[in-house]
Order: sequence, then C-alpha cells, then structure tokens
Amino acid sequence: MRKPDRRDLFPGALEMMILRTLRRQPMHGYALVQHIKRTSDDLLQIEEGSLYPALQRLLKEGLVKAEWRISSTNRRVRTYQLTPAGIKHLNQEVSNFERMLEGVTRVLAGGEA
Amino acid sequence: MNWIKRLLGRRRLYSDLSEEIQEHLAEKIEELVAGGMSREEATYAARREFGNVTRVKEDTWEVWSFVWLEQFWQDVRVGLRQLRRSPGFTAVAVLTLALGIGVNTAIFSLIDAVMLRRLPVEKPGELFQMQAGDVDEGGGGGSFTTPMWEQLRDHPDVFSSTFAWAGTSFDLAEGGTTRAVDGLWVSGSFFSILGLRPAARRLIADSDDRRGCPAVAALSYGFWREHYGGATSALGSALALGSHPFEVIGVAPPGFFGLEVGGKFDVAAPICAKAIVDGEKPRLDNVHVFWLNTAGRINPKLSRAQLTTRLGVLATRLLVPPNASPEEREALMKIPLRLTPVATGVSGLRGKFSQLLEILMAVVGVVLLIACANLASLALARAAARRKEIAVRQALGASRTRLIRQLLTECALLSFLGALLGVLLARWTAALLLHIISKQENTVFFLDLSLNTRILGFVLAIATLTSLLMGLLPALRSTRVSLISATRGNQSSEAGHLGFRGRQWIVGSQVALSLVLLVAAGLLLRSFVKLVRLDIGFDRNNVLLVETDMKAAEVQPDRLMATYEEIESRLKALPGVLSVGRSEITPISGALLEFGEVQSDWLKLSTSLRAPAHLEDPEAPVYGNWISPGYIPTLRIPLLAGRNFTRADLATSSGLAIINQTFSRRFFPHLNPVGKIFRMNGMPGEKAFEVVGLIEDSKYYSLREGAQAIALLPVNQLPDVPGLFGLHEKLELRTAIPPSALVAPIRAAVRGVSRAIPLQFDTLAEQVNRSLFKERMLALLSGFLGALALLLAMVGLYGTLSYLVTQRQAEFGIRMALGATRRSILGLVMRDLIAVLAGGLAAGILISLAATRVLQQMLFGLGPRDTTTMLLAAGVLSAVALIAGYLPARRATKADPMVALRHE
Repeated sequence: MRKPDRRDLFPGALEMMILRTLRRQPMHGYALVQHIKRTSDDLLQIEEGSLYPALQRLLKEGLVKAEWRISSTNRRVRTYQLTPAGIKHLNQEVSNFERMLEGVTRVLAGGEA
Repeated sequence: MNWIKRLLGRRRLYSDLSEEIQEHLAEKIEELVAGGMSREEATYAARREFGNVTRVKEDTWEVWSFVWLEQFWQDVRVGLRQLRRSPGFTAVAVLTLALGIGVNTAIFSLIDAVMLRRLPVEKPGELFQMQAGDVDEGGGGGSFTTPMWEQLRDHPDVFSSTFAWAGTSFDLAEGGTTRAVDGLWVSGSFFSILGLRPAARRLIADSDDRRGCPAVAALSYGFWREHYGGATSALGSALALGSHPFEVIGVAPPGFFGLEVGGKFDVAAPICAKAIVDGEKPRLDNVHVFWLNTAGRINPKLSRAQLTTRLGVLATRLLVPPNASPEEREALMKIPLRLTPVATGVSGLRGKFSQLLEILMAVVGVVLLIACANLASLALARAAARRKEIAVRQALGASRTRLIRQLLTECALLSFLGALLGVLLARWTAALLLHIISKQENTVFFLDLSLNTRILGFVLAIATLTSLLMGLLPALRSTRVSLISATRGNQSSEAGHLGFRGRQWIVGSQVALSLVLLVAAGLLLRSFVKLVRLDIGFDRNNVLLVETDMKAAEVQPDRLMATYEEIESRLKALPGVLSVGRSEITPISGALLEFGEVQSDWLKLSTSLRAPAHLEDPEAPVYGNWISPGYIPTLRIPLLAGRNFTRADLATSSGLAIINQTFSRRFFPHLNPVGKIFRMNGMPGEKAFEVVGLIEDSKYYSLREGAQAIALLPVNQLPDVPGLFGLHEKLELRTAIPPSALVAPIRAAVRGVSRAIPLQFDTLAEQVNRSLFKERMLALLSGFLGALALLLAMVGLYGTLSYLVTQRQAEFGIRMALGATRRSILGLVMRDLIAVLAGGLAAGILISLAATRVLQQMLFGLGPRDTTTMLLAAGVLSAVALIAGYLPARRATKADPMVALRHE
C-alpha cells in the first residue's frame, strides 16, 4: 500500500495556507478545509484528514493555539487561533516562498524564451 | 520536562482529536444532507473525502514525540500475546537463546575477571609494578630482596609513593589440624597508597611496619565474615599464624581481594612481622632471597624520556651491591628494570588462560550465530504461516516499517527473555569452568565474577544482536507479500518459494559456520591426540612421585644426602615397589635446571665436520638434572651406550655425566661420546665432566619442546648453594600395585627416618597429563561445541527441507501424475540440498583457511590449514547433512497425486 500522499504540494505548503487562513480569523478544522478548498477554487486536491496532522504540528511548535468553543451553528468546535510566533513564522515563510516562486518563474520564463 | 507533561496529558489530546474528527464528519454530513443527499450516501461521501480516519489519527499522534514509546508498548503487548499463543516455539527459542547467551556471558565474565576488571582501588591507572630481570609469561618473577625494597622505599625516585607485598600461606593451626589460609605480607604504605578504607577499625599503616614491630594482622572482609561471622569481637583478638599470635587490628573493605587476579588474601600482616614467623633466620636481611613485589604511583612530573634515564640509574643503585666484583657488576648492570601497569591487577593466570579464553569466546560466539540461524529459520516459517494476517494488516493501512518493527519487537522479547535466563545460567557455568580449571591445576583460583556494567553491557549487546539476526530477514521477507496471493490461500505460490530462498541462505551460512567449528575442533582434537600419543622417551605409567620438603623438616645441610639415601633405600624395600630413583626435578613438571655454557675440545676440532641438521641453535641452553642411580631404570629411559651411575659413583667427587643424543650430536658430533670430557661454565669450579653413558632423547620440560641437549649429573654433585638445591628432592617409584595403595606405607617408612618431613604425592602419568591441560580443555570443549553446532545445523537443514517438501507437495503430486518417477522426485529435492550444502562448504572452507590461523599456537604436529582435517570435517558434515536431508526428501516421493490434485 502506498501512503495516500496525493498532495502535490511542497512540504510546508499546507501549514502555510493554514496559517494564512487563520490570520484572517480563528477557525475550526472543518471550516479551515472548506475555506482552503473554496479559495483555491478546488484547484488543490486536499484530503480533508491530512489537515489534522498539520494542525497538530503547528500546535506542537506553538504557532497556533486551540480551544473548544460553541460555533454559530451551535456545535462544540475546536477553534484554532494564530499566536504571535505563528504570525512571525507566517511572514517569514511567505517571503521565503515568494522569493522561491520568483526564482522558479524566472527560470520557467527564460526556458520559454 | 515538557514532554513528560505531554505524555501525561496524552489521553486528553487523543480524546480531543477523536471528538474533533467526529464533529468534522458530522458537520460535513449535515451539509451534504442539506444539499439533498440521503444520510447514508452523505456518510460515505464524508468518509471518502476525509480519508482513512485511523490513519489520520495515527499520523497526528506521531507528531508528538512519545508516539514511538506508545507503539513500542503496543508492540510489546502484541508480541507477548503472539508468543503466548505458540508456547512451543517460545519455549524452544527462549531456551536456545538462554543457552547461547548464557555460555557466551559465562566466557565473557571469565575474560572480564581475568583480563579486563580494574582493581577496586584509587586511581588504578597510575599504578605500576617494578620488576627486575626476566619476567615469565604470566608476569611473575622479577621480585626484590628486603634490603632492596627498603632502599627503594626510602628513595622512591621515579615513584611518588611505593609499596611492597608478597603472597604467602599462613597456617591457622586450629586444634592440631593444619588449616592454610591465603596470606599477604604488605608494607606499611600498602593500604594507604591504594586508597583503601577499613571496613572496621583500622588497616596496617606505616607505623606498623618497622623493624621489631609487634605482630598485627588485618583481615579481608570475606575472611572476617566467614571466620568470625563479621563479629566486632574479632577486632583486638589474637589470631594464630603459624603458631605465633597476631593481634587483629581491622578489616579491609569488601570487594578488595588483593592485587593478584586469580588469588585472594585472607590475612595481611606487615613485612616486618616476617621476622617473628621466620624465627632464627629471618629473610629480612638476606640479600639472596628475592621475595617482595614492588609497585607504586609514578611521579607525574617525569616525562617518558626522563623516566627511562632515571630507571637506568635506579637499576644500578638497586641491583648492584657496593661490594660487587667487576665481573658481577658487569653482569648485574645488564639487568633492566621494567615498569608494568597494575590497573587490572597482576596475574600469572592471565598469560596462562587468556588465549584459552579468547579461543573459547570465538567458538561459543559462532555457536550462538548458528543457533540464531536456526531461530531465524523458525521465525521465517512462522512468518510464512502469518502471511495472511500480515497482508490484511497492510491492507488496513499498517505501514511496512511499522510491521517490521512489530515483528522485530517479538524477536527482541524472545532475546531478552533468553538473556535473562542466560545471565543466571552464566554465573553457574562460569563457576563450573573455574572449578574445572582449579581442579586441573591443583590450585584454588579465586575470581571475582560478580556482575558489573561491562558484563551487563555485553549481555545487552548480544541480546540486541541476536534479535536482529533472527528477526530481520523474516521481518523483511514476510512484509513483502501481496494481499491477493496471501488471501487466496495458495500456499504453493511464489511466496512460499521466496520463503525457501531466504531459508536457503540461512542454512547455507549454518553449514559454513558449522564447518569452521568442526575444522577448529578437528585441529584441536587431532593435536591433542598427537600430544597424548607422543613418544616421550620414558615410561610414564605406574610411576609414583613423592616430593619431600627438607626445609620444613629443618634437616641440616650436612645431613641431607644421608637422609635422602636412607629414605630411598627404605622405600625400595616396600612390597609392591619395583625400583626407586630420586632427582632434583622430575620431567614435564614445569621446572627446569639450566646449566652453563658447555665446552668440549671435540666441538672445536670438528666444527667443520658438523652436519647442518645439527646446527639447530648453537646458542640453545643446555638443561639437566641431578639424579640417583635408580632414576634412569625407574623411568625406563633407554641407555644406548656406556653405563648408568652406580652407588660407588656417589662416593667419588670426580665429575661424571650421562648425556642424551642431542647433547652428544651437538658437542661430540660423529663420535662415540662415552669416555669423552666436557667442561661447563657456571658450575662451581668450572668442573670437567666425563661422559659415562648415553641415553635416548626424552621430553624434559614440555611435550611440545624440540630436541634438547640434556646432561644428567649424580646427586652428590649438587652445587653447594645453601637454601637453593637439595631441599625438595623428588622420589620416583615404579610400582607393581596401584599407587594409591602405597601412600600409607610410604608415609610410615619416611616417618621412620624423620617425623617432620612433609610429603606430597603425585603420579608421573598425571603430571604429564596436567601439562596438557589447556589442550585437553580446548579439545574437549571445542569437540562438544562442534558437535552441538553440527546438531543445530542438521535441525536447520531438516526443517528447511521439510518445509520445502510440504510447500511443493502439490507440484510433486502433479509431476508424479504426469509420470515422474520417485527417483526423479528424490533427485529434485536432493539437488536443492546439495546446492545449499556445496555453497555452505565452499564458504566454510574459505573462512576456515583465514580463521584457523589464530589456533596456530595451540596446535601440535599439524598446521592450521591441515588438509586431512578439512576433508574430514567436510566429510562428516556432508554425511550428516545428506542423512538429515534424505528423510524429508523421501517423504516427497510418497506424495499421492490424488490428494495433491484434490487440494488444488
């Protein structure tokens, strides 16, 4: 059996997207998945379950914190919230990512010319 | 610690996660239902979108570092359950491992005790023993006289502090019967420099070790417990040592047994008290008695070069007496002073047994490897039976590494259970081996065999190694199965054959290792047999040896000769005694007498005539013995020319000698030596000796020696050096009745001459036998272990072929249905066997060629690459293997085509 690693994402991408989403507002797991799927116009095939190990990693590193709340639909949900360390980490990651993307784009553009 | 908090809070974490996922799915389902799906459909869809819930949970848990611990605990529980389910396999595996690990640990703990264990003293690495002159193989010899020690003590020179000691035996003489205990003479600085603190009261100090000191003694902890039951009333009481009362002043700490490995001390007394025990002629001022060992801590300020120079100066100061003649001075100046580390104790045992123990360690190591191979083979069969279970687990999402880990945990459980039992077994085995060695050597060896971290580390390492060896291959193989073939229940498919190929490797390596052991055992056995059957030149059977002790009997030097003569003639008269001889030493006793440089006029004249074959080693020393006329006939050494000594010879003072063939060839080449004269340096007066007889060569010091030049001189010509010769002459009695029946009459006869002469009995045959102790031990143990290896390899082979035959039962049935004969089926199976066997033998021979060289020194009369032994070993192994393989192969030919086809 293969690991169900369908995500063609580079390592850390999912974490980055989670942090970015949480920066707008605190959210629970389900809402997070739906948001990421929606904003990416379903371009990214994310297995919903794969979110939880990623969230756990962020929790462990202290980039997010979680607490149980009652949602607007009157459910008990575990809501995740960015910590100051998480904000700092996100900024760093985003700028790293942008620099990498720029590099890749340049090479790709050069290859076409 | 943060992770401990997390570990404790993990239940909370897990329940949070479960609830979170539950809520996630519920929300999704609700949304889908709201979108118009049926609840059932929505449930499936939600799960599909989410992925494998268990897997997600496990992945999430893995984020936290304690997961491996949890998984390990799970694996252990699963493993234990599995093992309980197959008690037969578990019992066999645990017992095999217990034996294998136990024996390995036993040998290792002996190695540890003899070679590795550091003394339980302060900074043992700084301690060095100082020795002068030649040091024998066990590190003995090289001791000092009391005046030398006192000089060193007062001017320690290269040492920052020094101490001295000497082992002895004290007689506690309780109630008339002698009771010997191990004693130690120590300098006053002994305990303080070693940094030992008393377990009770105080130890011997500098103030106790002064000339004319009172008799005081310190006890070892063990002796205190054993002899006094650890009572404090012992302190201050009097202890009789050789009938002199010594005051017990204190007890040494537990765990300190003295500096000698293989020995212990019960009672320690200051060196000065030797005067009290010696009585009239104390050793303390004697410049001829070398009896003290010295050691100390090296002055740390000295560089290596400085140390060497200072040692040279010290040697001159210590060893050369001021009144020495120029020649003496020159000779003494040549004697070097040596420093040897004492960190692991001083030992004569080490040189003697380290090689034996190292070879044994290698052999038992190989036996353990073979046992591991058998267990791996068993584990593989078990894994094959569990293919279905493993395939299902994988299908349910268990990763391969996780499964491998689980299977290995099972093996580790077996190994550690085995190791636990093995450690118990090891203590017992080591004690048994030590007992055998002690018995053979006629001395009680004391070794500290208690467990320490090094031994535990060793056990841990081999337990880990064995679990990997037996578990890795089966785990790797059995986790590489496809669900489909496994669940189809088709046992004869490719997976079964894969299992066979794995086992082929295992059995092949078993064959190879067994061959190596068999070759080693064969070499050692054949060497031993050759040594036993060796023509030693005298008749060892029915000769009783009686050792006298005239020193203890305090016989005056001028009375010695007459006393011996009297004893000899009285023993001759005993019924059952055929003849009696006496001599300074006996052959193959571990003692030798080296004579000085020999000169013969004939040698100078005929150097050009000498055949090269006789030129073995012109510098080789000449050895000899002082004998009575009865010696040669009693030992039945053939006289080739001339005559034996006579009683009349003992009355003359002219030099006479009987020489052996090698002596004659070396100093009287091509001549009849009888009647010729030779001179020997070193003998008092540089005497000339006339050869009266020529005897055949016979073994002198050891069975392994080459031809030695031997000269036998009459007993009356013993050099007149007081206290050196003639005090312990041995009597040889050729008997017509069992020697044990003669002990009492001999004692009675000797008592008739002098009451006080202590006697020790031995037989010549046993003395010769004892000299082969190492060889016998090795031959016996390696023979036994070789047979064990053979048996293990055969069980492995039998099991593997049986497995193969069962796997291919259907195939054989079909073949037979299609017309294959029983013969061709038999050939089919045997072909597999022969392939494995041939591969194993080839590998084994290659390993043997490389490895048996380490045995070189233990071999006799054959080389480490002896072809006969190799062929013999390979032959035995092949024969047994073919028999072990034939049984299952024959079963293959009994395959019933109908049964096989129905099964299909």
